[in-house]
Amino acid sequence: MDKRLLKKANLGKLIEGVTAKGGVFVAPVREAGEVYYRPVTGAEEVVLDHILPKKPFKEFFFPQTEVIASFEGHKDQVELKGYESVIEETVIFAARPCEASSTASLRSVFTWDFVDEFYTNREDRAVVMGLACIRGDRACFCTSVELAPDTTEGSDILLKETVKGDFRAEAVTDKGKAFMERHKAVFEEGGTEAVETKKIFEPEKLDVDLKRISRWLSQKANYESPLWAELSRKCVGCGACTFSCVTCHCFDITDEGTYFEGERRKNWDACQFEFFTLHAAGHNPRDTQYKRWRNRFMCKFNFYPEKFSSKGCVGCGRCIRVCPVRLDITEVMTEISRTG
Amino acid sequence: MEAAMKNLYLPHLVTIEDVYQETPDVRSYRLVFKDPGVRDTFDFKTGQFGIYSAFGYGESSFCIASSPTRKGYIQCTFRQVGRVTGALAGLEVGDTMGFRGPYGNWFPIDEWKGKNIVFVAGGIALPPVRSVIWNCLDRREDFGDITIVYGARTVEDLVYKNELAHWEERNDVNLVQTVDPGGETPEWKGKIGFVPTVLEEVAPKPENTIAVMCGPPIMIKFSLVSLEKLGFSDEQVYTTLENKMKCGVGKCGRCNVGDIYICKEGPVYTAAQVKRMHNDF
Ligand code: SF4
Ligand code: SF4
Ligand code: FES
Repeated sequence: MDKRLLKKANLGKLIEGVTAKGGVFVAPVREAGEVYYRPVTGAEEVVLDHILPKKPFKEFFFPQTEVIASFEGHKDQVELKGYESVIEETVIFAARPCEASSTASLRSVFTWDFVDEFYTNREDRAVVMGLACIRGDRACFCTSVELAPDTTEGSDILLKETVKGDFRAEAVTDKGKAFMERHKAVFEEGGTEAVETKKIFEPEKLDVDLKRISRWLSQKANYESPLWAELSRKCVGCGACTFSCVTCHCFDITDEGTYFEGERRKNWDACQFEFFTLHAAGHNPRDTQYKRWRNRFMCKFNFYPEKFSSKGCVGCGRCIRVCPVRLDITEVMTEISRTG
Repeated sequence: MEAAMKNLYLPHLVTIEDVYQETPDVRSYRLVFKDPGVRDTFDFKTGQFGIYSAFGYGESSFCIASSPTRKGYIQCTFRQVGRVTGALAGLEVGDTMGFRGPYGNWFPIDEWKGKNIVFVAGGIALPPVRSVIWNCLDRREDFGDITIVYGARTVEDLVYKNELAHWEERNDVNLVQTVDPGGETPEWKGKIGFVPTVLEEVAPKPENTIAVMCGPPIMIKFSLVSLEKLGFSDEQVYTTLENKMKCGVGKCGRCNVGDIYICKEGPVYTAAQVKRMHNDF
């Protein structure tokens, strides 16, 4: 059951098989000219001619906003109700392999010591079906961060498009294997290596050494390097890079409503924002944009690998594509790798 | 059936049992858990902090100002500076707040048995130190000399005035109070001068001594110099770092100083550890 064939014509059946049982089938969909991961109910909604959906699929595990509690205040007491994350099976179809590998990163943050079950509950019930990339663009750099357009890392099932337009499906995890078993009517025999698949995209390889970057970053003196201000001078602090990044995990906890009736929510937040670290008393440890940008870079290339033993950057290139001022993270990587 | 999810961010409900207006903008609350099960089992270590909520306004983090030796309640002290603390300040006896915690690390006072302890605090930073002071006083026989150097801008800004009077009376505590020049009143009997200067005058001996220091950054900076002059090494000096916090549990990503997450690996550090950190606070 490890290698099977998923005919394109059977995709509809698979979607039905998942949704009929109350599951959510998420796939790339075109909306107003852009591609997004969205829950679908039919194969005709799914598009596969894109490079990368605009936003990562992490929002299905870590929603942009989510209620964690609600409360009702009365004269002499407060009624408080905790929420739980919805735990239907969620299938992510045609996830980009770089992105798939990032779930391990998010998990490492959401589980170190304290466990955020809002996240783990969802991820535990998700089946990630990665689809190897046959096209990419100049912003892609997965091979420079020790990944590949057909990496199995993070996928439960890895799909490769065959020359006929079907999918060769390889179970990567037990979860993936069980999923294929449950839907064996559509995962047919004949997914062997012999089936010819389309040529995998080859992104340009950067001249960077991740270990060297991380080492340079961990040295206290380099925190004060003039390079930071220089390299991030263009940044306008819009936060687009953080909101579109697959490994960015920062959030805010805020109350909405009033004491009498309200909700407490976890909302995405971004270290690129001026108020992110502003103390109520007025002090701000990251009072200029370069300090905020420095934090973002440190997080990707030092905190994640060193502290959480996982990847901070998977080379998806989203931050490069969305940046309004074309601040290219690979240029900074290259520069620091050269210096370090 | 799935087991019920553990909601990491769900606070306990606490009732305000007592209110002390410390200064015009600093308040202390004595809080009691509504759930008797939590009330009976809640435990923490001195130096740990909590996330307190004013429902409808949000959450704010500050230390637990009471000592773990005092069971059945916790105390918090905060200055009214923002939206959440503003809302908290509007609460009165009998009102309900939220509390999550305890979070973070603590002062390793068990390792300090038999040592002298010098507490150095400035202004509104006495609360974390107060927890340690009471913890040590409640186990008085475990420690040598206890010295407290506490200063504020003006007499009005001194917090815990009742307790200062109590410590003043005790003969097993050497309390030295000071206010900045110009901050004194005609009745003021304490010293007049900045904390670092007064600390040098008091001149605690560094041998077999631990210094616990909390205060505004400028006070910390100069008091560290004073302690160094007196012969203290950076390993003998403990302090707490404060940063903006939201989750308190290492997830929301805003309290970090370089790669150190204050909410999880702090807030208590030795001066030696602080000096090794990236300059991000
Ligand atoms: S830092 Fe940029 S390239 Fe790297 S994972 Fe995040 S969005 Fe993708
Ligand atoms: S997208 Fe570009 S301009 Fe916006 S915060 Fe990120 S680096 Fe700065
Ligand atoms: S307060 Fe959220 S990570 Fe420390």
